[in-house]
Amino acid sequence: MTLRSPTSATLWELWRVTRAEIAWRLALPIGVGVAALLLGAAFGPADNPASYQRLNDHVAAFALIVIVLPHFVGWLSMAKLNGSRPGFPLYLAYTRPVRTSVMVGLPMAYLTAVSMAIYLASAMVLRVTSGYAFPLQPVAAWIAGLAVVLMMAAWSTRNRVFQVCVAMFAVVKTLVAGMDRITAVEVPDEFDWPPRLWPTLFDFPRTDYAWIALIGLASFVVTIVMVRWDRRGDSVPLAAAPRALAGVITRTPDGGLWDWLVGLFRVPCPTASATRAQVWLDLKSNGMPPLTIGVALAIVILLMSAVSGPIDAAINADPDVKCPIAECFYVRSAPPLFLTPLSLVTVFFFGGNAFGIRWRQGRTYVSPFEATQAYGTAQLAVLKLLVKSACVLAGLIAIAVSFWISIPLLGDAVFVQIWGVPLSSRRSVITDAFTALTGYEQLALAVVAAVGVVVWVASWAALGALRTRYRRLITIAVCLLLLYGVFFIWLGVAVSVDPKTASQLHLDVVHRAMRWIAAVATVSTTVYVFWSGFADHVLTTRYASGAVALSAAFGAAWLTVLHIAGVQLAGMSAMNALSVVWPALLPLMASGLAPWSYSRIRHT
Amino acid sequence: MGQTTVVDVNNLSRSFHGKRALDGVSFSATAGHVHGLVGANGAGKTTLLKHLLGLLRATTGSVRVFGLDPVRDPVRVLGRVGYLSEERELPEWMRVDELMAYTQAFHPTWDETYARQMLESFALDPSKKIRELSKGMRAQAGLIAAVAHRPELLILDEPSSGLDVAVRRDILDAIVRTVADDGRTVIFSSHLLDEVERMSDHVTMMDYGRVTLSGVLDDVRRGYQRSHVRFVEHFDQPPVLATALAMEGGGRSWIVVHSGSIEQFHHSVLALGGEVVESRDATLEEIFLARTGRNRQQVEAA
Repeated sequence: MTLRSPTSATLWELWRVTRAEIAWRLALPIGVGVAALLLGAAFGPADNPASYQRLNDHVAAFALIVIVLPHFVGWLSMAKLNGSRPGFPLYLAYTRPVRTSVMVGLPMAYLTAVSMAIYLASAMVLRVTSGYAFPLQPVAAWIAGLAVVLMMAAWSTRNRVFQVCVAMFAVVKTLVAGMDRITAVEVPDEFDWPPRLWPTLFDFPRTDYAWIALIGLASFVVTIVMVRWDRRGDSVPLAAAPRALAGVITRTPDGGLWDWLVGLFRVPCPTASATRAQVWLDLKSNGMPPLTIGVALAIVILLMSAVSGPIDAAINADPDVKCPIAECFYVRSAPPLFLTPLSLVTVFFFGGNAFGIRWRQGRTYVSPFEATQAYGTAQLAVLKLLVKSACVLAGLIAIAVSFWISIPLLGDAVFVQIWGVPLSSRRSVITDAFTALTGYEQLALAVVAAVGVVVWVASWAALGALRTRYRRLITIAVCLLLLYGVFFIWLGVAVSVDPKTASQLHLDVVHRAMRWIAAVATVSTTVYVFWSGFADHVLTTRYASGAVALSAAFGAAWLTVLHIAGVQLAGMSAMNALSVVWPALLPLMASGLAPWSYSRIRHT
Repeated sequence: MGQTTVVDVNNLSRSFHGKRALDGVSFSATAGHVHGLVGANGAGKTTLLKHLLGLLRATTGSVRVFGLDPVRDPVRVLGRVGYLSEERELPEWMRVDELMAYTQAFHPTWDETYARQMLESFALDPSKKIRELSKGMRAQAGLIAAVAHRPELLILDEPSSGLDVAVRRDILDAIVRTVADDGRTVIFSSHLLDEVERMSDHVTMMDYGRVTLSGVLDDVRRGYQRSHVRFVEHFDQPPVLATALAMEGGGRSWIVVHSGSIEQFHHSVLALGGEVVESRDATLEEIFLARTGRNRQQVEAA
């Protein structure tokens, strides 16, 4: 292969780096969108034209969201070029005899054009498949504008905080502005942007395109200037006043947020035993970040709850502010309704990767430093899981406690109109119900919650390890599961639109199959990993006995929780009983799967 | 006196994505010796060392370290092994003193005085984070963590990489010799042949996943000769000489690396109307180039 110019060489490099991502960005949304549209057409309630149309309109809207959604995420594969180092990804090209404007402009133009092309191709395929008028150039132009701004945010600086803030602002602004445009007209008895109105709704004014072009150009210029400084190793040449701000923007955090969190607590490493030293290492490198984030979010929830009441009062008290009642309540309801679930999800998210799997230039691997320490594989895996789980659990508890304390600060009136009951009254109901439980029942609840967190952490850790070892196989399995999930959700929607259709039958069949598959998969995985673990000397009889004891305790606690919830197994069909009891098997499976999967990456 | 076998690798093969990384490798290391592994990039040296540490599972063949399988019994094997990886991959967030303390916890035999001495000789600041260290300093920190517990087996993967000449010659050599003189074993890989020649007692050459040569260094060197040969006749192509492995030169004057019977070689030179002008033991580099076919004119017949 002969590359005749730096331009063609750079384009070739970009193509090689991004082609896999282009493939999945094309295949996944088109696959999901087309599948949803075909299912809608095939299984919709044909005997009821109104319901049929309504269902398929919803499906078309869903398909449009699916093909737009990937463009709200920047180009992930570009991280291969710099190993996720923040800043301009083609920094190795600094030594090439190419002008900075070309070095920046070429990848920007390429990625913007590819983003637009991917969207246009997806929309065209869906148009042909469904006959719906999926919008083309208006949405493509918005996607192009967003792509350039996201690149500007990611490439102009190495400061991750700045990158995240700008990217979030761009995404939210695009979403809000887009939704404002397409929901401008109130459509009675229908959602606000039905497909039949798409040609009108997406006919954006010319000023929109002018703004997009202007924003794109400004982003391009800013990126060139910032990359040029970075290339020369210059500090930002600004006057004293904006220098502080520029310093914040261009500063390279010392190892990033995660390393900052790791270094936050100075505890000396114990040398008395290997277990203590390993706990110290995992606590610092793996456990402290989710715990710190959880505690920080708990404090934020508490503070926001404390200030949202006065803000609400101030807004409502001000006669000049025309505050719609729902929006005023929104201020006060933000901590419990928005921030608390988001915080819980964040801590759960940081509960992944308990095995500390690393990612560098597209390669995932376990640290050879830890893998060569004289410590047993199963013990190491369990230690990592327990430390991480304890920290995640502590973070979750901090958020829950903060939420609990915050409720009285929010006042009674806010939630009357949202849920029909004041939250404070709910608080007392929950308190009364919990205190009415016996000590054993309270203990059972605690056991289920704690073991549930451990199972969650173990499952994600095992999935990460298996994906590292059997990448292609696991990716295919996850994609199949996702498709299965989409199919199941679609059937649920179809049944909710018109229950008197054949979809109910399909839903029952799929649901029944899912329950059997889950139960059989759990049992067979448990048997296999224990057998293989014993054969490889990863698991010992002592370890297995402990796992069985823990699982038995969880099983007993689970049955108690079912009893508290009023679930009676007696008289239940075998299928339903299986569905209800099945989660009790998860701890046993996780206790075998986690060390087994860790062994697969420690000894590849 | 019988020598204790510390490492015993038998007929080990390994492929990655259909590409053979190790092909029927057999290798053994005895106690109290320094074993040098040499080979070009991608020859399979690191893959072999990773098998010794249990980082890779033997799919074909067997690996025994101290008579144990390092995959099945990592604690008993790794507790007696010190390892310095080629990538110097250490936790970036740790300080140097924390790295020492963490490693110490796994090894009851940790010699704190020795570790402190080495820190001083490398002029490493214990309060510095690994992230703040240069590549060479990381290698030094990793080396201290690998040797300060006085392991029975020290495995060093490209130990000189990143170290300056002074540190390489004075400190690394001294450490390796001290370990061997204490009756312990060192296995190290390198593509610096002069280093292997200087430090090793035994040498194993690898090429394309195979062991091409293995033995005591002195025996290996004695088994190969480098001769300057002059002919009456002009040769455009290398002349065919018995026992020759590689030839360089042209016309009437050729440099030949050969092994086996010297008489046979001399006879074949005479038969072509030539004479051996000068002859000496070949260096390891000359042997390596001749054996691996990376010399400019490789003799097919060899």
